[in-house]
Amino acid sequence: MKISDIFSFAFGAIRLRKLRAGLTTLGVVIGIAAIVALLSITQGLQTTISDQLQSGFATDTLIVSTQRGFGMSPGAIVAAESDFELLVNYTQIIDEIEDVDMSVAVIRKLGYIKSGEREFMLAIVGVDFAKYADVYSRTFVAEDGDISLSPENETVVVGKRVSDPWENGTAFTNVDNIVEITWTNASTLPPKNETYSGQVAAVLKEIGGFGFGGPSDTNIYIPITRAQSFFGTDECDTIIVQLENDDSATIESVSEAIEEAFGGQVNVISSTAVLDTVSTIFSTVELFLTGIAAISLLVAGIGIMNIMIVSLMERTREIGILKALGMKNRTVLSIFLSEAVIVGLMGAAVGVASGWVLANVVARVFTGGGFMSAGNQAAINAGMTITPVLTPTVILGAFAFGLLISVIFALYPAWRASRLRPVDALRYE
Amino acid sequence: MKKLMRMATPIVETVKLRKTYMLGKVPVEALQGVNLKVQRGDFLAILGPSGSGKSTLLNMIGALDKPTSGKVFIEGVDASTLSDNALADLRQEIGFVFQFFNLIPRLTARGNVELTMTIPGLGRDRRRKRAEELLETVGLSDRMNHKPAELSGGERQRVAIARALANNPKFLLMDEPTGNIDSKTAKEIVELVKKLNRDKGVTIIVVTHDQQIALQTRRTVQMIDGLIVEEKVN
Repeated sequence: MKISDIFSFAFGAIRLRKLRAGLTTLGVVIGIAAIVALLSITQGLQTTISDQLQSGFATDTLIVSTQRGFGMSPGAIVAAESDFELLVNYTQIIDEIEDVDMSVAVIRKLGYIKSGEREFMLAIVGVDFAKYADVYSRTFVAEDGDISLSPENETVVVGKRVSDPWENGTAFTNVDNIVEITWTNASTLPPKNETYSGQVAAVLKEIGGFGFGGPSDTNIYIPITRAQSFFGTDECDTIIVQLENDDSATIESVSEAIEEAFGGQVNVISSTAVLDTVSTIFSTVELFLTGIAAISLLVAGIGIMNIMIVSLMERTREIGILKALGMKNRTVLSIFLSEAVIVGLMGAAVGVASGWVLANVVARVFTGGGFMSAGNQAAINAGMTITPVLTPTVILGAFAFGLLISVIFALYPAWRASRLRPVDALRYE
Repeated sequence: MKKLMRMATPIVETVKLRKTYMLGKVPVEALQGVNLKVQRGDFLAILGPSGSGKSTLLNMIGALDKPTSGKVFIEGVDASTLSDNALADLRQEIGFVFQFFNLIPRLTARGNVELTMTIPGLGRDRRRKRAEELLETVGLSDRMNHKPAELSGGERQRVAIARALANNPKFLLMDEPTGNIDSKTAKEIVELVKKLNRDKGVTIIVVTHDQQIALQTRRTVQMIDGLIVEEKVN
């Protein structure tokens, strides 16, 4: 029997039981749609995060932090008790290292900024404006006003989202405005609010992304000396190191040299290392999510098997007729497997399409404008959009998996059908 | 010479054919050593009461079932030793007509006839043409696109006969072909079958209760309790 005839016969059998075939297919559709939606959202998220990391994190910079700060190294948890402090003037030590262009200390504390009646919680970042602007020459750039390279004590530079948190031109604060800056010193008992008034000298250009390690739309910047006196500390959170070049050899040697200089008490992170970590995390997440979705396909597979066994009983007589007409066992097997192939292919096609739609709907819901209007903390922290990514690999994989599940679970019923003895099958009522 | 040899070999021959079924735990000896020869062009009726083993004999000849012992020769080939695949191939060359028609309900009359020809892999155009010719032969040229449910019992049996003839079978096996249709239609079917035998030389073996058919055949054998007890040439 020709393959085309086998498929056309199988298709006829499916068409006869539309509702049942439809429900069986639905099982496959749900499984495939779940896998496709999860994978395309995860991949979209990964692309977004990687892009933002890359845009906010120059490849020729390193970030030095204490092991308390960044939990990126495997030793982080063990070293958590260390009382090592990274001090602002350690930049001098780092500057001595070969291939280091310069370094800049960053003090970062959560605090509040008040302008008029409104108040926001955000990160207050103390840096040397001149050096910081040098390292982040593309992002630490004023849109309004000027970033003074030798700032007054009260100078404040704000991120774009701080000036315009609602993204509609209604300014929260602008150049020349006086703002009240507050942080809560929790090291005293009882905790004490420290406040000073600053003057906005500049609003940064919109940066987008996380501003990971570098400038961010949602931070405010004050001179490092002001930060030291305001926060009452010489300890900084990170030191950003500008390298002479971004060769991986340079990155490696400088990283090692810095770690050595501080007796292994610091973490040195490069953008490449962060990106690697991010991909590793995403691969794990992807695997996990796919695994969960695969379970739903397994359930669909059992549905297929169930339906086919029922169908086999109903069609015993038909099988008897086909065999009496001279159909071989393997042809009967092929007919039943073709039915599974048709169900699998239809399920995969509809599943990929609906998974893609689902991914876009979910992405829109999570990144839509809904949060912005609230004017709360989220408004300042948001600013990330996920575009689901559907790769040919995912599409092919979904089809292959849908097909595989359908065929595997149809094998047993099909085999049983093919083994029926014609005389018994014909006698079956 | 070769042709003469072929002519001399019976188209069907059974030798000491035995078949024992297990009905639950009770063994039933359906055939107890049947010896039968059918020559090319013969028109044979197998008669007998229910349970005499005539349908079982027909299933053995039609390669639908295997004997417990003894042999079935189809054109000199021992069917009882063949593999499942070889048996399937053999069945393609045997035309079956059943008491309950056994048409595929979802296919039209023409679709049912065509299906038989898809098994040896005949192309669409050729099988369509042949299906139409065959349905015309059995007098159904105006009912080709009707499904079995839309056809009368007699019409269904004609479709079944057209289907049985589709692959130019070596012989036709009919199991109570008129058992499920009214006597007038049965008469027409008998005429049709007789004509096929007379004009086209189709070898026909028919199992029946129907004396009307038995009288039209060239030869009858009577079976009782799994044995042939009487042979008669009409």
